[in-house]
Amino acid sequence: MSKRLAVIVSQGPGSNPVKRQLEEDIVTGLMFSPNVEVTVIPNLYDLRGDSTGMLALQGIAGDMVVCSWMFERAAHWILDRNGMSGRVGTTLLTNDAPDDEDEDEEDEEAIDAKPRVNERREIANRWIYCLDLRTCGSAQAFIDEVLRIQSELNVRVVRLGAGPSVGRPTREQLQRFESPTNSTGLARNGSGLANATGGILADAGEESEANPPAASINRIEESSGRRWYPVIDYSRCTNCLECIDFCLFGVYGIDRIDTILVEQPDNCRKGCPACSRVCPENAIIFPQHKTPAIAGSAEVGASLKIDLSQLFGAPAEGKSAEEIAALERDEQLVLAGRDAVGMQGLEKRRPARSKASDRDELDDLVDRLDQLNI
Amino acid sequence: MSDHQTFMMGEFAAEFPTDRQYADNHMWALSRDNVVRFGFTAYAVRLLQDVYFLDWLLDAPARLSHRQEIGSIESKKAESALYAPLAGELTIFNAELLADPSAINVDKYGSGWLFEMNADLNGLMSAAGYVDHLETVWEKTQRTIKGQLNE
Repeated sequence: MSKRLAVIVSQGPGSNPVKRQLEEDIVTGLMFSPNVEVTVIPNLYDLRGDSTGMLALQGIAGDMVVCSWMFERAAHWILDRNGMSGRVGTTLLTNDAPDDEDEDEEDEEAIDAKPRVNERREIANRWIYCLDLRTCGSAQAFIDEVLRIQSELNVRVVRLGAGPSVGRPTREQLQRFESPTNSTGLARNGSGLANATGGILADAGEESEANPPAASINRIEESSGRRWYPVIDYSRCTNCLECIDFCLFGVYGIDRIDTILVEQPDNCRKGCPACSRVCPENAIIFPQHKTPAIAGSAEVGASLKIDLSQLFGAPAEGKSAEEIAALERDEQLVLAGRDAVGMQGLEKRRPARSKASDRDELDDLVDRLDQLNI
Repeated sequence: MSDHQTFMMGEFAAEFPTDRQYADNHMWALSRDNVVRFGFTAYAVRLLQDVYFLDWLLDAPARLSHRQEIGSIESKKAESALYAPLAGELTIFNAELLADPSAINVDKYGSGWLFEMNADLNGLMSAAGYVDHLETVWEKTQRTIKGQLNE
């Protein structure tokens, strides 16, 4: 049996025809790619832990490419929460400039040595690549990226098999790879491998095999209502427990080794992202929130579009993240028939490190407006 | 008496029927049979221009507080979060728009309606009051847009 790459297409919530078209074009485009197994699921974020869709994903043991209508981080940590951990594969299909990302990683390592929850968790030995379908409108770009990832994964295996030598494998190594002398050899899988090593295989006298297995496509259709709950990024979370203190709706809990987790996601109040604002590490993601920093953007990137939210009724400016969070929490308490608590529990907080990154484009805009003096 | 009020957005005349009331987040409200139907005003549609995507964060029915974020809208050139115009119970969204939001541009005061609520209409403005409100925010609107275009 050839090793197949699992590609998951998570449908957008709602039935936006433009989105549906892109999803279907990607599925169709991958249909003829050998060694790809496509699973189409309803919106990943809305799937419950015991849903058919989630169970299908949990049945996938190997590497995964997940295409969904949310930031890469959001998808990755939704999977993680549902028992599908893995190493973060880096996609080239992203809005973020790669240079920035590198700098960021260095910065984080250099400046703060705070232990992150992720460092003491067991991560499954596989790669998970999350692609944000909002990145680009071309199905071909996503198909190409899936094929590139497939090659990359094969190269990884080849490199591991090739031992200490770095770079191009020797002809001898390739031969050994072609005809393994032990039972641990990687199953040959046709064009994916050919892509992976460029012209090298051709040099070694290999041609693509006849009848490559076409992709298999699983469609999981189930109706699930829209959900709203926080997703924790454990690579940022320090287990400071500010969120469990702040949330008065019992969303958060502690596992057996005293680690924070989202225990009762459906206790969360729809539309309320307040705990994300009080998280000092910006580790709490609400994938459907409009502010990129809250929705799981790796960077707070400038939007390409004019943001009219302020004109259409966005809450007043000039408040700190904590003040906004307190207001949002009060709003939900009152809606639930409880008493507002104001800044309770937030008075003595040190200024959150993430405050600068909590600013969204509107904050910047307002600052610029003040300077413009029109 | 004219059946609408007009506000000039530069060269563009935005018209507001006087048969309904207006919220300051640029939605109209039309009461009938104890429910209030909401939609975008001509002013909002002019700012957005060609709407191609509308998304709601909630399922109806849902209790809303005033200004609660309820969804988002995207057009070719702009995007915005959407907020509840009033506190109350949202009873239904216009399902037709989710598949094809073009009615927002084509028939904003009719089939392009957004949602219905059970709500107390206190605090809404008449068409004339809304035009007065627009006079006071027009400057800020222009600056908001120019500020972002100058990037």
